[in-house]
Amino acid sequence: MQNLPAIVAAGRTKFGEHYEKEPEKLIEESWLKASIEANLERKDIEACYLSDYFLPITNKLGLEEGFLSELTELHVPMEVTRSFSSALTNACNAIIAGRHDVVLVGGIEKMTDRWDKIRDDLMLLEDPWSFYAGCTPEANHELMLRAYIRKYGLKGEDLEKLNVALAQISVNNHLHGMKNEFAQYQRKITVENVLNARKEARKPLGLYDFAPISDGAATLILSSDKTAKKLTAKPVYIQGFSSATDFLTFPARDDLTHFIVTRIAMRNALKMAGVTLKDLQLLELYDQSTIMEMVSLEDMGFCETGKAWKDIFESCQDYKDYYDVNGKQLFVNMNGGLKADGNPLGATGGAQIFEVFRQLRREAGERQVKSNEGLEHGCVLELEGFGTKGYIYVLGSEKK
Amino acid sequence: MSSEPIERRVSYLGDRLRGTRCQICGKEYFEIRDYCGNCGRKSFGKMLDTDLFYEKGELEVCTLVNEPTNKFMKLGSYVYGIVSFHDGKIRVPGRLTDHMVKCDEDIDFSNLEGRPVTPRFRRRYSVDKNDVIPTISLTFTFADEYYPHQNHSFLKPRKEYDVAGIVGYGCYSSRFRIKEGNMQRAIPFIDEDAITAAVEAGKLALIHSGINNSRVGKIYVGSESNPYAVKPIASKVAQVLRLGEEDEDDVQGVDAVDTEFACKAATSVFKDAVSLVNYSGSNVDNAMVIGADNSQSAPRDCPGGELDLFVGYGAAAFIFGKNDVIAEVEGWYSCTSDTPDFWRRDGEAFPMHGGRFTGDPAYFKHVRKASKKLMERLGLQAGDIDYFVAHQPNAQFPVKVAKELGFKEEQYLPSLQVVKFGNTYSGASPVGLAAVLDVAKPDSRILVASYGSGAGSDAYSLLTTSQILEKRSRQKLTVKYQAENPYLEYVDYTTYRRLKVGM
Repeated sequence: MQNLPAIVAAGRTKFGEHYEKEPEKLIEESWLKASIEANLERKDIEACYLSDYFLPITNKLGLEEGFLSELTELHVPMEVTRSFSSALTNACNAIIAGRHDVVLVGGIEKMTDRWDKIRDDLMLLEDPWSFYAGCTPEANHELMLRAYIRKYGLKGEDLEKLNVALAQISVNNHLHGMKNEFAQYQRKITVENVLNARKEARKPLGLYDFAPISDGAATLILSSDKTAKKLTAKPVYIQGFSSATDFLTFPARDDLTHFIVTRIAMRNALKMAGVTLKDLQLLELYDQSTIMEMVSLEDMGFCETGKAWKDIFESCQDYKDYYDVNGKQLFVNMNGGLKADGNPLGATGGAQIFEVFRQLRREAGERQVKSNEGLEHGCVLELEGFGTKGYIYVLGSEKK
Repeated sequence: MSSEPIERRVSYLGDRLRGTRCQICGKEYFEIRDYCGNCGRKSFGKMLDTDLFYEKGELEVCTLVNEPTNKFMKLGSYVYGIVSFHDGKIRVPGRLTDHMVKCDEDIDFSNLEGRPVTPRFRRRYSVDKNDVIPTISLTFTFADEYYPHQNHSFLKPRKEYDVAGIVGYGCYSSRFRIKEGNMQRAIPFIDEDAITAAVEAGKLALIHSGINNSRVGKIYVGSESNPYAVKPIASKVAQVLRLGEEDEDDVQGVDAVDTEFACKAATSVFKDAVSLVNYSGSNVDNAMVIGADNSQSAPRDCPGGELDLFVGYGAAAFIFGKNDVIAEVEGWYSCTSDTPDFWRRDGEAFPMHGGRFTGDPAYFKHVRKASKKLMERLGLQAGDIDYFVAHQPNAQFPVKVAKELGFKEEQYLPSLQVVKFGNTYSGASPVGLAAVLDVAKPDSRILVASYGSGAGSDAYSLLTTSQILEKRSRQKLTVKYQAENPYLEYVDYTTYRRLKVGM
């Protein structure tokens, strides 16, 4: 029988500005937390999968594996990818294939070290032709929203509801972030704050619609299901995962209102995990912007295409800590999402998995969800670029 | 430091908006592709090179950028969006240019979306002073405003003339003006310069002439405000307008050169262009001459700042040939003396000039001599000439010299454009000539006398043909259209200086 990858421990740093710390210090901090939890020593690690989106640009660090080797004094195989999900996919494949049994998956980013030039870098990497034409990291999100409004012919009261629903997304994420000790922002904001920021910016989306730039690191320790039981009483299994890829140039894509990568990855990950949408209540979405969270709910199939704003708007009339979509409770971004928790690109996916890991182990403290159906699964969406890559993970507290 | 190889590759595609169309399924791409994603291997060799340079697009969706990335910082706020062509078959990112967003202006994006736009060739973004200047045509203006969309179609050659002459021309000036007293002056938008003006004028000349761009074998650009001390404007014009024969190797089969002689840099080589197309061994059917300047001046309170009251922005391009001529070149006379009445030392940003001595013994002496000598040579009296075009650094000089030579108002007024565009330096008498060609009847005689400080003058006599009327409808962007356009935008002195300095 095939190995099933299992998460046995997870660690992370607080996200935000770590002005005084080198990137290595952050990865060390998150690794220590995970290794203590699993009661592992460095020598138990058979391989490392590290992710950082652009440390070679932000910190002029190439050969990041060498830094990690120096820090851990390990000489095992190490590979670097751009996103945590990508590193995790490689790690999962290695475990499924039986190549390694215990591996470390780490993600790191140090964006504030290049705060002054980072928007140019982000844009150039994300979508060069759009950058050459004058695009900003925010503009593609706003164009997606404009295209959505035009495609579904939203106006008048509906348009107002959409705008408020998007604001609610941000408000909810901040609300969740208040209960997360690692979150970059642990304060409440209001719908008025979000709307006023848009008004001030004179744009469809404003300051409070976007995730910040952040520093931070996250680490998972992954093993095969057989070994997992020896390392922890409550492993969390990676039951399904998949990814998909789309064009770099956003305007060149067929559909400007949705991310095809999410749709494809979701379909394949569900199939691999052998679960359906009905089994999923706990979601960590990639809300680089409020519109991104909204369309993701549609792309993953939880809300009807062109209607997510309605579900969100109605749920938020009396928001508890979940969206009510046709009677189904959807717990979304319990860690505060990218908006409140922070978005250190290479580490972000790690924080998303970390949250589902804690929730499924009932270790989320104040944020622990009280689902009416019993919480057995969680689902994570991570994107790279502006929907150029999409990764879905389906996690479960039981083997499938 | 930006990377030269990357800049060149981006420019090569982006200046012209090059694309590809699959001849099997019709799918279109921005960027050059060897095969189609739909048709796969069987499409190899069946992909057609296309470009969107002369196409009309539609602004599909847009938003406001008011916190640009560092490279776009000097643009302040601008509208940015997605432009589609061919009913949505191709979509490209694009910035709206020539469009200033006021700091308290609330934009209703739905009023902008869905409107037709035209690609414009502009500077891409700011770079260091020592870098290659990046350009792009992913910059658009509304086709229902200042700059209408015009089709570019080739005319079948109908008649070969014995005497070579002008076969097409174009005049370009920007949408922005400063108005002081009786004088209006054109100002480049912040992403414009002498290079972009030259390309614009050349493009309009090609549209007007109806000749195939591959039949242009020589391009001269005269300017005294080339943003490079070393690197021609003409090479950019040749590449963007795809002049001369093309092979697979992306090198244009055209001779390109820049000329410099203050304000007569362009007119000086009219005769070279005429001679070249007349010489049977040259293999050059058509030669293009462009005079283009973002006329330089120090700010008002600084040495040389007197010019700041007169400088303009614009370009005019003329294509010379022997087929379907609209104005034959009858003859010319040029004269030169070493009179340093206006100069700019290498490395200096702004020119200096000789104050009261720029009239006499500089301007008047040379213009008078060249005009008189040419009239003598051709046996012409003032009354034999329908239009007189003189270099126009201000509104007084050309009138004074015209009167001295015996011309009446109806002969010299149509060419007098300086009060609408300012002194466009190398483009000054060429813009005046374009204004006259816009209105001249067939069989009219035009006398042009340029002036270049330093100093010299070129006088030409032109005789219009019947084809001037036939080609007139091919050009919407006439000199008058640009001077009296309802979409002109007037700016204050501070904005004028900021725009003039550019990105």
